Amino acid sequence: MGSQQVRLSGSGGQGLILAARILASALVAEGRNIAQSQSYEPVSRGGLSRSDLIISDGEAAFPLADTLDVLLILHGDASRASTGLLNAKSLVLTDSDLVTDPPKGRFKTVSLPFSETARLLGNKRVANIVALGAIAARSDICGAGALEAAIASNTPPKFARLNVEAFAAGQNLCKAEVPA
Amino acid sequence: MSQRINLQGNHACALGAIRAGCRFFAGYPITPSSEVAESMARELPKVGGTFIQMEDEIASMAAVIGASMGGMKSMTATSGPGFSLKQENLGYACGAEIPCVIVNVMRGGPSTGMPTRPSQGDIMQARWGTHGDHPIIVLAPASAAEAFSETSRAVELSEQLRVPVVVLLDEAIGHLVETVDLDAIPETPEVWRKWAEGPKQDYEPYAVTDDMVPPMSRPGDGYRTHTTGLTHAPNGFPTQNPAIAEAALTRTTTKLDLHRERYESWRVRQCDDADLLIVAIGISARAAQAAVDDLRADGVKAGLFRPVTLWPFPEEALREVVASSGAKTVLVPEMNQGQLVLEVERVLKGSAGTVGLGRIDGEAITPDQIAGKAREILG
Repeated sequence: MGSQQVRLSGSGGQGLILAARILASALVAEGRNIAQSQSYEPVSRGGLSRSDLIISDGEAAFPLADTLDVLLILHGDASRASTGLLNAKSLVLTDSDLVTDPPKGRFKTVSLPFSETARLLGNKRVANIVALGAIAARSDICGAGALEAAIASNTPPKFARLNVEAFAAGQNLCKAEVPA
Repeated sequence: MSQRINLQGNHACALGAIRAGCRFFAGYPITPSSEVAESMARELPKVGGTFIQMEDEIASMAAVIGASMGGMKSMTATSGPGFSLKQENLGYACGAEIPCVIVNVMRGGPSTGMPTRPSQGDIMQARWGTHGDHPIIVLAPASAAEAFSETSRAVELSEQLRVPVVVLLDEAIGHLVETVDLDAIPETPEVWRKWAEGPKQDYEPYAVTDDMVPPMSRPGDGYRTHTTGLTHAPNGFPTQNPAIAEAALTRTTTKLDLHRERYESWRVRQCDDADLLIVAIGISARAAQAAVDDLRADGVKAGLFRPVTLWPFPEEALREVVASSGAKTVLVPEMNQGQLVLEVERVLKGSAGTVGLGRIDGEAITPDQIAGKAREILG
């Protein structure tokens, strides 16, 4: 398998770095190597936040992202920040409520109600887990089983059931997706 | 059994130090180095070690020196403004030959600069930050795995050679999480400084020995010792006798020359037939690796020379690689306005042309930037 690059972006406090850590831990369980980097602003909440994963079989020569295979945009603050790293093969997943102006180009953009789904499940903070469900269903980045196990081992037990529901809901969203 | 984990560069520094026997950490957390202190606070108590959060960077450096004189392997971690504050006490450790390790995770500067953004602006400060001629070793890891192994090596070298060792990371490497196989990092036997032995009445704390590394007195062993920041004679007491002062200062620098093979370390990639050689450290070296691979795929003969021990600079090795490859030009990408390139120029003395490539906007240099510059140079 070649190397792949994933960016999870949005606003500080949306759990993007946690989501990247979960994805990274699932990928290592699948035998792959990851390099994870992050960028956030010097504020407690809000501001542009992102975490990148370079997925490879050995140590990545360059561990930072330069061409994205999958880009998640969970908040409008991040809608334009990564456009320069997209190409015709990129898949962009955006939040249909919080990203009103998704990037447009030769790449494929899919708009899905991550935050709305989380809200209907009772906690808007699981939008990151809903998004991981969509990434599992919509891309070949990581298997759903490994991700499910990684979610359980990287989050508090009291949220276990909510997270399982959020992950399943994210996978289900992709069955009825509409192009942005 | 492989023990593959995702490990952050800063956490790796802490774990590497602990593996080498570091049992004391005093620090004043500062972005982007705070995770080193965080890890030490969590891990040191588990192995009977001591973590102290001090009132500032100056005090933390002083505590590290005191702990080392008390017989502990000790370390601190900091970034730009904190590294500046530590320089006076760091000079004391250089002058009094106190083993200790200082992790400096470089961020944008000067002053408070850009706390969360990467930089390599402390390359010269790491060598010459404290005043006066002084011995110091600086190691520059370029991955999470190397942050682990090089911090271990820093502890060992500081003990073997009685010299402060700086582990110099940039923010990108400090905060980078990479899959590391801890079992693949070889276990090395624990290294301790030489302790004073033999008749107590003859003991001199700064005696001139064959290896130029004087044995230290272990507290409680009964050897009479004296430690000062003033220039001192072999008996440890201050002197301004020109001959003794010159001999004492010369010994500390001769000491490092004598043990070059112990601490020198570098890596090469595709250098044998390189027309263009790239010299880089840290995240810039990772970008250069990718640039070399891209250029080679296009038939451009580029190679990378990466100093792992940055100071003293592996000068003979670089001269040999340049001579044997026949490279006409050396490109030095670094995240500052041109520091490493000056050392490369000094070392090569015109035997190959040198071209700098700086970046100071708080973003890492990319493989495309380096490959583009390489193509421009080779025409």
